[in-house]
Amino acid sequence: MPRSTAALYRRTVRRHRGLVSRSILLLCTWQICEALVPVIIGLVVDDAVATGDGSHLLWWFAGLAGLFLVLSSGYRYGSRAGFATVQHESHLLRGEVVRRVLDPRGTTRKRLPGETLSVATSDAELAAEVVRMAGFACAAVGSIAVAAVYLLRVDLLLGLVVLLGVPLVLGAVQLLAPRLSRHAGEQQSRIARASGLAADLVAGLRVLKGVGGEAAAARTYDEASDRAVGAGILAARSTGLMSGTTTALSGVFLAAVALLAGHRALDGDITIGQFIAVVGLAQFLAEPLSTLGEVAAHTATCWASGRRVVEVLAEPYAVADTGASSVPAGALDVPGLLRASPGELVGVLLEDPAVGDRLLDELAGVLPAPGVRVGEVELDEVGLDARRAHVLVVRHHVDVFEGTLRSNVLTHGEPDWPTVLTASALDDVVDLDPDGLDRAVAAGGTSLSGGQRQRLALARALAARPPVLVLQDPTTAVDAVTEHDIAHGLRAALPAEGIAVVLTSSPALLAAADRVVHVAADGTTVTGTHAGLLADDAAYRTAVLR
Amino acid sequence: MSRDLLPVATARESAGHLLRLMLRRPVVLGAAVAAFLAASATGLLAPYVLGRLVDRLLDGGPGVDDALTSAFWLIAGAAVLGGLLAAGSADLLARAVEPALATLRQQVLARALTLDAARVEASGSGDLLSRVGDDARVVARAVSQFVPMVLASLTTIVLTAGGLFTLDWRLGLAGLVTLPFYVHALRWYLPRSAPYYARERVATGERAQALVSALRGLPTLRSFRIEEPAAAEVDARSADTVRISLDVFHLYGRFGGRTNRTECVGLIAILGVGFLGVDSGAVSVGEVTTAALFFHRLFNPIGVLLFLFDDLQVTAASLTRLVGVAALPAPSYDVPAEPAGGTLALRGIGHRYLPDRPMLDGVDLVVEPGRRVALVGASGAGKTTLAAVAAGVLPPTSGSVRLGSVDLGTLDPALLRRQVGLVSQEVHVFAGTLRDNLRLAAVDDPSDEDLHEALVAVAAAGWVAALPEGLDTLVGEDGRTLTPAQAQQLALARVLLVDPAVVVLDEATAEAGSLGARELDTAADAVTRGRAALVVAHRLSQAQRSDLVLVLDHGRVVESGSHDELVAAGGRYAELWAAWESPTG
Repeated sequence: MPRSTAALYRRTVRRHRGLVSRSILLLCTWQICEALVPVIIGLVVDDAVATGDGSHLLWWFAGLAGLFLVLSSGYRYGSRAGFATVQHESHLLRGEVVRRVLDPRGTTRKRLPGETLSVATSDAELAAEVVRMAGFACAAVGSIAVAAVYLLRVDLLLGLVVLLGVPLVLGAVQLLAPRLSRHAGEQQSRIARASGLAADLVAGLRVLKGVGGEAAAARTYDEASDRAVGAGILAARSTGLMSGTTTALSGVFLAAVALLAGHRALDGDITIGQFIAVVGLAQFLAEPLSTLGEVAAHTATCWASGRRVVEVLAEPYAVADTGASSVPAGALDVPGLLRASPGELVGVLLEDPAVGDRLLDELAGVLPAPGVRVGEVELDEVGLDARRAHVLVVRHHVDVFEGTLRSNVLTHGEPDWPTVLTASALDDVVDLDPDGLDRAVAAGGTSLSGGQRQRLALARALAARPPVLVLQDPTTAVDAVTEHDIAHGLRAALPAEGIAVVLTSSPALLAAADRVVHVAADGTTVTGTHAGLLADDAAYRTAVLR
Repeated sequence: MSRDLLPVATARESAGHLLRLMLRRPVVLGAAVAAFLAASATGLLAPYVLGRLVDRLLDGGPGVDDALTSAFWLIAGAAVLGGLLAAGSADLLARAVEPALATLRQQVLARALTLDAARVEASGSGDLLSRVGDDARVVARAVSQFVPMVLASLTTIVLTAGGLFTLDWRLGLAGLVTLPFYVHALRWYLPRSAPYYARERVATGERAQALVSALRGLPTLRSFRIEEPAAAEVDARSADTVRISLDVFHLYGRFGGRTNRTECVGLIAILGVGFLGVDSGAVSVGEVTTAALFFHRLFNPIGVLLFLFDDLQVTAASLTRLVGVAALPAPSYDVPAEPAGGTLALRGIGHRYLPDRPMLDGVDLVVEPGRRVALVGASGAGKTTLAAVAAGVLPPTSGSVRLGSVDLGTLDPALLRRQVGLVSQEVHVFAGTLRDNLRLAAVDDPSDEDLHEALVAVAAAGWVAALPEGLDTLVGEDGRTLTPAQAQQLALARVLLVDPAVVVLDEATAEAGSLGARELDTAADAVTRGRAALVVAHRLSQAQRSDLVLVLDHGRVVESGSHDELVAAGGRYAELWAAWESPTG
């Protein structure tokens, strides 16, 4: 994995060596031909139009056609190779970013999905753009060199004036560039802010309409949108100022070159054709030079994107993935909290939700879990794949993926469908729809109710049949009768020697457990049966009864 | 459910709409157009003067020195003037277009917010989201980046063509020879590229979907060790976009070849005609030079125009989608002379999303002031639909909903929401501060004490006070993430601040984990106290504390009565209650 942006780009060039060199070579050819067009116009006028020589004219036409053929092919195949490099590289980077984010070892840095999404899409693309920019930069430098050689050969003084003058003009214009990019950046961020606000309001439309907040929301948006107007005008003014300055300075420069070249022609030092060619080149040179300016500005943006990609790729892992590749069956032991033997269903009532979140993270191998064992084996000394195959943690929040009910339940091979569907009470949902298990579900499960989503998650967990299953609040959104059915049917769907740990405050689920651990807010634990705790533990009674 | 997509305006309607908005500043707009024309005209002066200079240099003779000097001043002067005009035109254009664009996007959002939530969801809320977000951004970017370039290119092309004709009609015609070639290249390219761009948009959308799905589902993917299939799915979708992009670029390269060929043809035509003209004495060498330089100057603007065509098409498509929403007729309501209030009465309510599947069938329901009615039933029984109808956000297929003497459907939503507050299952925290979130709907500016009072009532004052920045804490999209229970407490507090006569709570406590639920019960009690309240009760403890319980099954009321009556009656509710209340489940 590259550790720095520069290393990232070295690797990019290395792994697309062929495409990159082809692109640079062909783009150079293209730009050089473009530089030759005004030179040839001058020569045609001088050698054929002014002299009236028809056969020369035809020869020049053939030459012009040949030049355009080379020019056109150079651009077409050169830019295609550059574009292909960008596409292939950004595809590779995207894959690397996604695999890093999905890496079982996790990361110590928490990012919002939106942030990661933009790194995997726009940053991956922009980072790869650098290679294409390099191609255009090389081409610009190549054509400037060719023009320089021609001009110096025609006339030393003219050549020097043009070669020093053009960069001066563009340098002067570039002085305005930071101002432009500042204003443009400001405008983009304000527009992005306004659109983000609008998207947020529309996403919360139901909530907004529920309390009649539309008018206030529209006012907030109008303010944000109006702020974007001012920034937009400023940005346009900077753009206009920059292009106006370019027009004015390059025009004045052209006038000076024409004056000087005119005198040279008048003195007979250069021909009319050379006069036209020099003037034409003076005009043309602005193009590769402004390309260089744009490339410089754009490369800065691309470089920043490359840095963000590297940051994601080089993030430290949260846990290590080393150790045993299998876990022998045995009791689950979380020191100071709970112990569950094979075949046991243990209920856990937690009064401090933070304790529960931490416990789930440790059991899931998202955080190191010192001291937590299965049998004689410390979980931290087991490889992640084996560890998660042995201990499956299913959290309260249900992730539903686009597809069908079936595709969401299936994770590792065909389950015993009737058992899974009955125990999770997903059978009601399946029976409700003519498509049954093949009922389509939308990403995020928006087409399902909260209770249906929970049953789906439970079915998925039971279908995986892990030796240790940990569930967090699996039935908060299902109705009381269904919850009762689930509590009574759960054990039937567990493997004979399987362990199930259920974090819940539902009396139905707790009553179905072999043992219940009550973890009070101060961390002290009391263990017993649901009935026993109801009788003896007043705090438990208050926490459980509704 | 039929996909009732939001309307898209025609190109003509969109142009008309935008023009009307821009014409609100007629002077600035006129000045901008004039400045663009003048700037392009000054650009013609240099090649013209240079051509004349060629003639003078060829003729030789006295006064060439002076001609050189005056050529210098003419070119330099035109350049400075042109620069000033270019800067001015960009400024003027922005001052005409930016406010028009802002008005347009404000119209779109204002209209979007009046849309029926059911309609928005029927068309996939993604449609509206992408209009207010992406489309507005695309058009704004186009206006600041491409539009000035396109305008400058267009005026340059038109004026240069005119310049060619002024020079000599034969040279003008020679330049014009290229027009059919350019048109042909475009007509070859556009129909071929359009489907690719459409496919590219779809493929990019699918790629983003695969990415988001993998990122949001990370905990589950990790637990079940299925990260690799998700990553492979992203790879596959990404490879699709790469393939399509390469195909489009291939096409684009061939298009570029065609325009290069046209440039070559044009140059040869002008030089050839010039050669014949000079030969017959009709034109001078200098005029041919001017013409060739004119034409060479056109390469860039023509290229800009041709290659921005795709971007312009994309922009136009976004614009039609924006105007489609902006031009929706504003809903009008009969505003009642006196504020409504009193008893909420639903009579004979029927509703169906699909013709053969009624969600509600002949439901009657009365909620008197100060009374709380609970709706109970299995999922799919129609509870949420009935709540939406009662709150006036969903017009029923049949039956009437009245608040006092007023039909809810005729009430302006702004007035309606002051009378009927709704807290739905959806949990959304708006990006902004906690204070912004609470004040979102309040009619009269509530003070911080009012906000605090509301937070105390919904049992949220504790955790809000524990935040280092209190009410100024940023929440939502780019702020602190609240738990679903906290978000619902905010929603309930919001209703308290609006203080409506009627509240409808749709399973406001379902998404909370087991520990948050009881606190939300308390908050819900605070909000329903003293009002006419309809509560979709998922936790039966809420039903128990209600004055009347209705049990819904398949869209019909199957039981109705007080909690005690229903428990005594031994029907469905009694069964549910037994399961709920039993200490052993």
